[in-house]
Amino acid sequence: MQLTLPPRVSPVRFQAALNAFEKVVGKSWVLASDEDREAYSDIYAPGSADEWPASAAIAPGSVDEIQAIVRLANEHKVPLWPVSRGKNLGYGSAAPRMPGTAVLDLGRLQKILELDPKLAYCVVEPGVSFFDLYEHIQREQAPLWMSVPGNAWGSVLGNALEHGLGYTPYGQHARNLCGLEVVLPDGELMRTGMGAMKDNPSWHLFPMSYGPDWTHMFTQSNLGIVSKAGVWLQPAPETSLQLTWNIPEEGDIGWVVDTITPLKLAGVIEQNVFIPSWLGKIVLLGQRKDFWDKESAMPEWRVQELLKEHKLGYWQVQIRFYGDEGLNKARADVVKAAFKRHLDAPPREDWWRQGDPVNMFDPTMGVPTAVPLQMSDWVGGRGAHMGFSPVVPATGAHVVGQLKRSRAIIAAHDVDFYASFTIAGRFATNINMLMYDRDNTAQVANMRKLFDALIAETALAGYGEYRTHLGWMDKVNDTYNFNGAAQRRLNETVKDAIDPNGIIAPGKQGVWPAAYRGASKGGRA
Amino acid sequence: MRRLEIMALVATMVAGSGAAVLAQGPAGGPPPPPPYQTRAQMPPGDRVAAGRNGAALFSNRCGVCHLAGGMGTNLLTKQRLAAGFAPDSALLANRTDLTRGYVKAVVRNGKMAMPRLSRVEVTDAELDAIARYLGKAGE
Repeated sequence: MQLTLPPRVSPVRFQAALNAFEKVVGKSWVLASDEDREAYSDIYAPGSADEWPASAAIAPGSVDEIQAIVRLANEHKVPLWPVSRGKNLGYGSAAPRMPGTAVLDLGRLQKILELDPKLAYCVVEPGVSFFDLYEHIQREQAPLWMSVPGNAWGSVLGNALEHGLGYTPYGQHARNLCGLEVVLPDGELMRTGMGAMKDNPSWHLFPMSYGPDWTHMFTQSNLGIVSKAGVWLQPAPETSLQLTWNIPEEGDIGWVVDTITPLKLAGVIEQNVFIPSWLGKIVLLGQRKDFWDKESAMPEWRVQELLKEHKLGYWQVQIRFYGDEGLNKARADVVKAAFKRHLDAPPREDWWRQGDPVNMFDPTMGVPTAVPLQMSDWVGGRGAHMGFSPVVPATGAHVVGQLKRSRAIIAAHDVDFYASFTIAGRFATNINMLMYDRDNTAQVANMRKLFDALIAETALAGYGEYRTHLGWMDKVNDTYNFNGAAQRRLNETVKDAIDPNGIIAPGKQGVWPAAYRGASKGGRA
Repeated sequence: MRRLEIMALVATMVAGSGAAVLAQGPAGGPPPPPPYQTRAQMPPGDRVAAGRNGAALFSNRCGVCHLAGGMGTNLLTKQRLAAGFAPDSALLANRTDLTRGYVKAVVRNGKMAMPRLSRVEVTDAELDAIARYLGKAGE
């Protein structure tokens, strides 16, 4: 990938900046060859990765080095795009929003600084992956479980900071963050929560502070660089019981949600309940051409054939309970009785007890896996995916409305329907998985049109996305339109006040600093 | 091997439960998947200096996908079976026909579902050691 310079930075000034960065981190950790730039491009880019080119990557090895790089970036006016491990797959990977931004790769910061089995938390650096933390917990034989996302290749902190979700009682990952250390845009170091007091032992335990707490100012944000954070973990349960129902009809999702949500709010169900549509189970069995050999979307008759052939319902509901055996039994009885009112078939029951083997592919057991990424093979070639991810209230009426709307838009674009709903409390996130072959130009163009239509029509109905790909960050931001986009205006006011050079992640989530507001047109899908 | 047999074998490997993963079949269905494959710890030492252990580096840096049951292994199993090879050749550590140059090229350029890896994820010195370990067919 050829060099794209940051706006208003000449080649000479850019080289001077790289030389200055090298003095801080060493020559080996300033990566600026064409091959390096490729390595930081969006591996699932819908079309050419050249739409979101990084100019270089810098990899600091300590908090001091992050601070020094940020100060130099201000001096040289080279903006930085911080990534923890750069695995934000489906949302842009490691690539920056603004062409020419340099990636600040925190992947070298891989220390697990604390693991407290009594109060069930850890303190980790941004480069720690879910696999690293899982294996550390096993080696320490700590009685702790973690919550993992569908793709656990990435960073524990990066995923939480991007509002990622998992499927255990600790599945709302941003809520597990407690006590951040942050490098501010001027290079200053600050700590949120009780960490604002030197050596306070409650830093990673009390989720607020004295006065305003700034923790969530730094999630999905370009207001600072998180250099370490506390993350709450789940005490390892003595037993676990999973109930599995195959839910026959598409329209059944309404009663399913209305059954689960009250039980979740009452604490009978503790985990985030993930409900994938049938294609979620088929994508891992082979390639699309094994099941349907035409370009056009799979027709309903073929879907029904496949469901029969593989003995699947349209949806699958799995509810897992964690903890004391007696409690799990009692909870399961309440849930089974609630489902029985709608569905005669009893659920499959799978007990797990401490000492039993743990299924390595089961994210509801907190085991990290990257296997769900296999779905990229579904379409063949350089397979890729993007997720369209609106949030709706967790009621049957809202969920069915969202399902019908997105299904109709996706069908109108002749694309296979693959959706899931995750009931995470009072809301459900609806991930519509759009899979494409990056080298199939017509398919990619259709996906981009489809993505535009999904954002626009879903916003018209009153719902917004919780996260999106680089190319649509501005479009989604535009849908947050209360009082003339008052939230964006506040974000910009804060951004300009604490980052006058606009050095940290310009354009992230559609928040542009004054210094680059004119550059916001580049990189829009 | 016929397509359905390949699919059944792969289904066995990915059978599980939970997010985006196949449901466990009914009793008498596919056997349980392999247990979690713990990677080797990162070998100590300077990440940009030569001389660290290639096998341990492969396990630590590539093991998320390329140990038993990993995404890369699962996809390669399908490819290897379709090409008439034994399924255990999907594990890169078992291959005898890989050259060092090929290993390096795939890591830096990516291939199909495999993304290219940066020099922060795998440094040049680490890739040299990994390529020496996997590249049993020589340069």
